[in-house]
Amino acid sequence: MSFGKRFRAIFKASGAQSDLNEELRFHLEKEVEQNIARGMSAEEARRQALIAFGGVQQTRENVRRVRWSHFAEVLTQDLRYGRRMLLKSPGFTVIAVLTLALGIGMNSAIFSLIDAVLFRALPAQHPEELVVLKWHARHRAKNVGNRSYGDCAARITADNPSGCSLSLPFFNEAGSQGLFSDVAAMAGALQLDISGNGAASIVNDGQFVSSGFFRMLGTKAAAGRLLQPSDDVIGASPALVLSHSYWQTAFGGSAEAVGKTVRLNGQPFTIVGVADANFTGLTPGHRVDLWMPLSTSRLVTPRWTPEDESGKLWWLVIVGRLKDGVTVQQAHSALTLLFQNLTEHAEKPYFTEADAPNIEVLPAQQGLVGGSKNILQPLYLMMMAVALVLLIACANIAGLLLARSAARTREIAVRLTLGARRGRLISQLLVESLLLSTLGGALGLVVAHWGAQALWSLANRDGSGPPPFNPHLDWRVLIFTAAIALVTGVLFGLAPALRSLRVDLAPALKTGSGSSDAGAPRAKWYGMGNTLVVAQVSLAIVALVTAGLLVRTLRNLKNADLGFDSDHLLVFSLDPILAGYKSAQIDSLNRDLQRQIAALPGVKSVTYSWTTLLRGWEWDTDLHLPGTPAKEAANAHYLPVGPGFFATLRIPLKTGRDFNAADFAVAAERAALPPKAKPDPTAAPLTVIVNEAFVRRYFPHVDPLGRHLDPGPADDPNEPRPPGWDIIGVAGDAHYEDVRSEVEPTMYAACAGNASFSVRTVADPLAMIPTIRNLVNQRDNNLAMSHVLSEDQQIDQQVFVERLVARLSSFFGLLALLLACAGIYGLLSYEVTRRTREIGIRMAIGAQQSDVVSMVVRQGLLVALAGVVIGAAASFAVNGLLAKILYHVRVGDPATLGAVTLILLVIALAACFLPARRATRVDPLVALRYE
Amino acid sequence: MGEQLELLQGTLDLLILKTLALGPMHGWGISQRIQQVSQEVLQVGQGSLYPALARLEQRGWIGAEWSTSDNNRRAKFYSLTKAGARQLKKELGEWERLSAAIALVLEQS
Repeated sequence: MSFGKRFRAIFKASGAQSDLNEELRFHLEKEVEQNIARGMSAEEARRQALIAFGGVQQTRENVRRVRWSHFAEVLTQDLRYGRRMLLKSPGFTVIAVLTLALGIGMNSAIFSLIDAVLFRALPAQHPEELVVLKWHARHRAKNVGNRSYGDCAARITADNPSGCSLSLPFFNEAGSQGLFSDVAAMAGALQLDISGNGAASIVNDGQFVSSGFFRMLGTKAAAGRLLQPSDDVIGASPALVLSHSYWQTAFGGSAEAVGKTVRLNGQPFTIVGVADANFTGLTPGHRVDLWMPLSTSRLVTPRWTPEDESGKLWWLVIVGRLKDGVTVQQAHSALTLLFQNLTEHAEKPYFTEADAPNIEVLPAQQGLVGGSKNILQPLYLMMMAVALVLLIACANIAGLLLARSAARTREIAVRLTLGARRGRLISQLLVESLLLSTLGGALGLVVAHWGAQALWSLANRDGSGPPPFNPHLDWRVLIFTAAIALVTGVLFGLAPALRSLRVDLAPALKTGSGSSDAGAPRAKWYGMGNTLVVAQVSLAIVALVTAGLLVRTLRNLKNADLGFDSDHLLVFSLDPILAGYKSAQIDSLNRDLQRQIAALPGVKSVTYSWTTLLRGWEWDTDLHLPGTPAKEAANAHYLPVGPGFFATLRIPLKTGRDFNAADFAVAAERAALPPKAKPDPTAAPLTVIVNEAFVRRYFPHVDPLGRHLDPGPADDPNEPRPPGWDIIGVAGDAHYEDVRSEVEPTMYAACAGNASFSVRTVADPLAMIPTIRNLVNQRDNNLAMSHVLSEDQQIDQQVFVERLVARLSSFFGLLALLLACAGIYGLLSYEVTRRTREIGIRMAIGAQQSDVVSMVVRQGLLVALAGVVIGAAASFAVNGLLAKILYHVRVGDPATLGAVTLILLVIALAACFLPARRATRVDPLVALRYE
Repeated sequence: MGEQLELLQGTLDLLILKTLALGPMHGWGISQRIQQVSQEVLQVGQGSLYPALARLEQRGWIGAEWSTSDNNRRAKFYSLTKAGARQLKKELGEWERLSAAIALVLEQS
């Protein structure tokens, strides 16, 4: 019976049992018939037959046992055989298991990360009951301010926009419609300056939540208590709940944190508790550091106005549980009606009837996709890379197994002749492979655990910080690992198993494994082994070329001429408005700090600007060149800078002058005006320094000094326009937003507002951080420094994607190279074994050692070259995809290709060394008798 | 009826294979044939027959198929496979050698 039928028979137990019952019944009836034929009466016949028949239950048991024990016996035999074969060649086993552990483990690691992001249920009780509200309309809403914090996939487009930010009045009304048993709102806080706990710092991930939030989710507290309805009342003492990880990092996990008072943007809050470690926020991928009651947003949000609590500001994400008996459809209709009412009949309507606004009631798991999209992209990229690694590993192991099974040809031929069934042999070989892959999978789980953390830090743009979800190994990951191990085992085991059975019996028995005049199957194996190695070599080439191109890209990016000196530069940002400063005070604050920092030993010079260079921020403005048609707008980048900017950053001033005190005074005056004031066309124009790109674009062949620039064309020609700008100098081109793009025309102006500092240090910039922090703290301990790093680190963050792909492809390429080398070695050493007789003959008739060596080496190099050619062609295709992230290096770059080819040929030669040496050691006399 | 002799498991397998060498048969038919040919000495009850048939089927020496019997009832018919035929030959050979050896030992005295 074939393996398959036998296997299926086990599981058709019930069917088999009823079969047996029918057989036994038939048997009994025949007995009865026979008895009647002998002359007994019907009853007597039956009685006698039953007596003779004996107990049936025992028979059933025995038959069942026979079936099972046979299967178990066969399996145990196969396992024992497999274990013996694996122990016989420990080197191969160890390499194979380690390779598989790496491949399977990395796949499991990626899967556990993706699983944590995609499939993990929301961290609440009965998460399937939670719904989130999402608005849809045909056109964008008018007169509305929309704030979203990346909780759901909002589309704020002109056509068919949607989003889940809604207004406070809507939330209040929606909650009182009798639709929800529990409903809550959450909203992100903009940057928060937290002080009162050591040095002031910035919290980027605060969240306002309404009173029923924690109760609705059923969250537990790790210390103290969570927010209650009594906290969310205007006038209540502001309460604060910390997240577990923030409690650990900022407060050292100390019990004294509960009850402590800290200041958020100058407003005192009391910490009432810490959330459970498992709760990092409702939206997956969106980590929250602390929670505040919704009613405190008026105290903490800078520039808050009562309008923020009207229907004009949409800023709340509404999550709730529907009441028993309320269907989604009912909620949808009721809420849509309410929404239309509020938006179409407001003082200044946000929507018209034609816009068809409606509210969709989505399961929260579906609606709150949050930041997962950004995380998923690099994860998917890595998943593909890692899957390819596994495929290469499988190909490698398959090749090695082929070599081994070819050595066992004789043994298999003998067994087949003696009557072994092919199915049995295949299952034996497969069990061996599955044993390997199961071992690899088990070890792989260990790799996965460590790997998940490592991969997360690789994928994470900021490079540090705990993941906002816990990638632990739950049952889904375990099943995935087991499945991968199974598939892998079959994948690399099946081909060699099938191949080893297509043996021509007669020649195999006669000649065994030593003959070179092999039958067709042997030659075909040779072909397959070669193909596998060529495939490995090509993959290695592709990976290495990619790695090479990207490493060069990174180097080019790092060495690019930035237009300024990025060495030994420390940067940090301040947001004095959060600490309660008024616009007028900020300018003198910046000036004071600049003076004080410059006086520190270890600081060469310091300056400030609206943003530091290469942070990724960019401000551009429309302007109008006098002499051009009225409606024609020109555009330029705009950067307010402080005193000494060009000197500190070492940007050369080509002509004209730097800003002086008068320029800064004008800027300060302009900044001190109330925000809604009308521009005064008669005021003194601001002075600007333009860069060479600006001159090339807008004033070619003309001296720009002293020229005037008008502000950009206005929609309404009757509105008063600001006075515009006067050019007082020309600076060298310097990169502003990023490294890659061409330098745009840029206007530098005098800075008088929130700024970031750039400090040129004598030694390592990072070493100056504590001193500078101290200084800022002493000046004002409410003032928090944010985004503190060296300029080099900042530039590194810019090239995140390039770095990720470079690292991946380098790792991948190295691995592929090693595997290809092992593959070539395996192939050649088997060939030498196989052709020992032939080598012996050649040497006996006079071949030199060098001839033998060259025979081996020639084959190795041929295989390698074939792989190189195919790999080079493939890399053209693959790298076409990467063209966008390459920088100053072309896809078909010959230098990279040449270097990689050279490396590979050297490695191939090295792989030939041992087999070639073994070939020269062949003793012709022994070889001729070798069988 | 003669005495019921204890049959070794392997011997029963041999008898079944030999019986099926003559053609496909269902379980009851096999036990009847063995009984008749051995002149009522060897009586194989269902308790030993069906486990033996299951074992032989697992090993792939006999195949099974449901069909209609002579009195138009459904019965499971067993037949010898190629591997079974080879196994039969092998076991016959062993049996002959074994019984010859035993005969030699018993003749001595």
